Amino acid sequence: MNSTLQTHARAAADDVTLVTERLVRDYGERAVTTHAIREQHSHGEGLADAGMPDIVVFPRTNEEVASIVRVCNAARIPVIAFGVGTSLEGHVAALYGGVCIDLSQMDRVLEVNDADLDCRVQAGVTREALNAELKGTGLFFPIDPGANATLGGMASTRASGTNAVRYGTMRENVLGLTVVTADGRIVHTGGRARKSSAGYDLTRLFVGSEGTLGIITEVQLRLYGLPEAISAAVCQFADLKGAVDTVIVAMQLGIPVARIELLDDVQMDACIRYSRLDEFDARPTLFFEFHGTEAGVREQAETIESIAAEHGGSRFQWATAQEERSRLWKARHNAYYAALALAPGTQAFATDACVPISRLTECVLETREDVESTGLIAPIVGHVGDGNFHLVVLFDPTQPEQRAKAEGLAARVSARAIRMGGTCTGEHGIGVHKLDALVAEHGDAVSLMQAIKRALDPNDILNPGKTVPASP
Amino acid sequence: MLDSTFTSALAALVPPSALLTEAEDTRPYECDGLTLYRELPAAVVLPENEAQVIAILKLCHAARVPVVARGAGTSLSGGSLPVASGVVLSLAKFRRIVDIDPLARTAIVEPGVRNLAISEAVAPYGLFYAPDPSSQIACSIGGNVAENAGGVHCLKYGLTVHNVRKVRAVLITGDVVEFGADALDAPGYDLLALITGSEGLLAVITQITVKLLPKPALAQVALAAFDDIGKAGAAVGNVIAAGIIPGGLEMMDRDATRAVEQFVHAGYPLDAAAVLLIEADGTPVEVAAEMAEIIDVLTASGATQIRVSADEAQRLLYWSGRKAAFPAVGRISPDYYCIDGTIPRAALPGVLMQIETWSREYGLPCANVFHAGDGNLHPLILFDANKPGDRERTVEFGDRILELCINVGGTITGEHGVGVEKIRGMCAQFAPEALERFLGIKQAFDAHGLLNPGKAVPTLARCAEFGRMHVHHGALPHPELPRF
Repeated sequence: MNSTLQTHARAAADDVTLVTERLVRDYGERAVTTHAIREQHSHGEGLADAGMPDIVVFPRTNEEVASIVRVCNAARIPVIAFGVGTSLEGHVAALYGGVCIDLSQMDRVLEVNDADLDCRVQAGVTREALNAELKGTGLFFPIDPGANATLGGMASTRASGTNAVRYGTMRENVLGLTVVTADGRIVHTGGRARKSSAGYDLTRLFVGSEGTLGIITEVQLRLYGLPEAISAAVCQFADLKGAVDTVIVAMQLGIPVARIELLDDVQMDACIRYSRLDEFDARPTLFFEFHGTEAGVREQAETIESIAAEHGGSRFQWATAQEERSRLWKARHNAYYAALALAPGTQAFATDACVPISRLTECVLETREDVESTGLIAPIVGHVGDGNFHLVVLFDPTQPEQRAKAEGLAARVSARAIRMGGTCTGEHGIGVHKLDALVAEHGDAVSLMQAIKRALDPNDILNPGKTVPASP
Repeated sequence: MLDSTFTSALAALVPPSALLTEAEDTRPYECDGLTLYRELPAAVVLPENEAQVIAILKLCHAARVPVVARGAGTSLSGGSLPVASGVVLSLAKFRRIVDIDPLARTAIVEPGVRNLAISEAVAPYGLFYAPDPSSQIACSIGGNVAENAGGVHCLKYGLTVHNVRKVRAVLITGDVVEFGADALDAPGYDLLALITGSEGLLAVITQITVKLLPKPALAQVALAAFDDIGKAGAAVGNVIAAGIIPGGLEMMDRDATRAVEQFVHAGYPLDAAAVLLIEADGTPVEVAAEMAEIIDVLTASGATQIRVSADEAQRLLYWSGRKAAFPAVGRISPDYYCIDGTIPRAALPGVLMQIETWSREYGLPCANVFHAGDGNLHPLILFDANKPGDRERTVEFGDRILELCINVGGTITGEHGVGVEKIRGMCAQFAPEALERFLGIKQAFDAHGLLNPGKAVPTLARCAEFGRMHVHHGALPHPELPRF
């Protein structure tokens, strides 16, 4: 899958030794070379890729990160930033060895500006930790990719999640960054002003750059007032088409739904078993969440319920109490594990197609037929309000032909999305697994991305082999 | 001047009427909305299709001739100021709305299409294009993308960068690149954000896919009066801190309302120190709920009077004064300087009071009319260039405001762009580390620095004082156009 990956010479063993010795001297117990820790830092939650870092360092300040990067840049040794390792696309694999910078000890919330609805955090703060810190302020940070990722990692991969349909992705919610550049300097981008037309948009350039242009050490985030009313509803459909069409109509009308999630019958079956959602049937299902004033929420829900009814949807089953809602969304977030539990002993990976909403029905139905023709188990689940959906493709790792089938299916999903004017990566990023697809999608823009990579990281030390194919 | 080989090569690329080289023909292109700076270009070329744009850029690239792309010429920062030895590439003929897809809620348009023309074209589908710079009846969408234009409704609906899905552009080498995607997210580096607001330094835009929004069923505006500008500033923060993101949240101080009232007779309370305009939009149920909340917050913040528009005609009347504020101020003062500094909202009361104090100290009136919800100030310093010392004191006053904006965590420009006028201010706002990244990006796109040279990003050597906008005798081109 990564044939476009160019060979990047591994740094000479002597140089690596000098650097690791230096880091151990400088950081003591916070520089670790044990096999267990290096192995733990060699992969995210997706499929394992070959590549362990030579050392893992745990800095606590911007200056420490900068000094580590300077040492590595001088020796031309790769640097890979690591949050909590929830990436699904192999972003953190140390393909050429090098130094892994684990940012988990940079876990302080630096400021919360209630009146301006913004805050500043260190990169290692997780989204759940931030929301816990915000308790009592009446504010929250909505972006929710499922995993309890770090905010630095979410910024690096331009994460989105179940409520992007209302609140946007990290692209819309990062106001500014502190970034350590490849030459080990500290750059501040953006800021607390709501808008600025001064200079190029470095903030958004670093957001989604997957650690290949700089290492994000601090993130300025937009916050939102907790809605007065929140309620969740479940609607089950006779067929997949009715469910997807309901979403399309709702989006066209611009109803500000906070979340819309599609689960096909296979995924619903998996979730019913795994999360004991016994009150539901294994049918195509939409989960909704509405945020707003009491009256606004009621009005949104009534409108959508009537759209759903026209498309063969059931009456809404409501969950208004906090515990009930949490139970539903927990079930949704555990969809990946629920799918895995359908066939114990299998492995899985997730595809990440995103198409214009007007092509969504066509894309989902074609994909579903494709899955059936392969005989694989691959439930569909997705943030369909954005046109984004995932297949969780299960395969038996002991059977090479199954893996080949699964990879073939994933390649077709990407190609189909691109053919329909969409993308192969709505939210998980490129990492190493999707470099080929990036070239297919972006054509000439890839050479510009390579030129930017060369301009900002001339020695190619930052997360080499990821995000953009190496320059020819 | 251009050599004759180059000029004849250029002439071979477009019909004779599309190439202007005589001073009398190129004169209209010597400046844009910022008239303080003028420069006659060596040639103006008006291509009508992308193939011609490609050929022109390839030629300029080969001959190392600078190129300045130009839309409707309404820039307030000198973004389309010509280069004497270069070519102005006007996109005025790129006027087609190529496609409207109501289902995907997108439209594909050419860069010369006027901002307002998009909303007019999609109105039959119940849709609109959200960013609305006050010059929207004249400014072009290509220029909006190049400057990342804002407007009154950007508080709720985002800036141009949030409302554009895909941009097709030609690099200086003649290569065509598409940035962004038809889907919600495009993989790889966010080149779409990079090109948006790049002020014509990275590529020439030939096609844009914009996002469209369903037109809200109802909009209502509340007009609130305050007896103290600090209280009005605090009220802005209180509205946002209550979790309300209104469709628009604008402020005008007494100098501004008095100037406007003589001009449009919108019925603003003239005894108020400041007036806020706050819009709620959505379904009738949502508007009613939000308006009730807004009124509560305004009352608690000490508003002395609150009026809510009873119908659409009254709503438009309340807004008319805001939209006409700049021409109105131009009527009462021989000259004014406009500043575009933007600050965190919580800093508003302090900064506004400081501006008021300085205004007294310098003996220069300062009208404030601005996008308060975004914290985007537009102080208009009123002066008379013919009065000895006025200009110098105005410059100093403006510098102090921008310095204050940076010190409270803000920026020297919220929406007008750096262009040529604020280029020195960039050094105050950005450390050399950040400026070096800017220059590296420019290098990656345009190694010879041919696209719009001398704008937006200063070289490290070029760092001095802040810039500002200067309008002499209210002499904006087309002063009848609403702005800001």
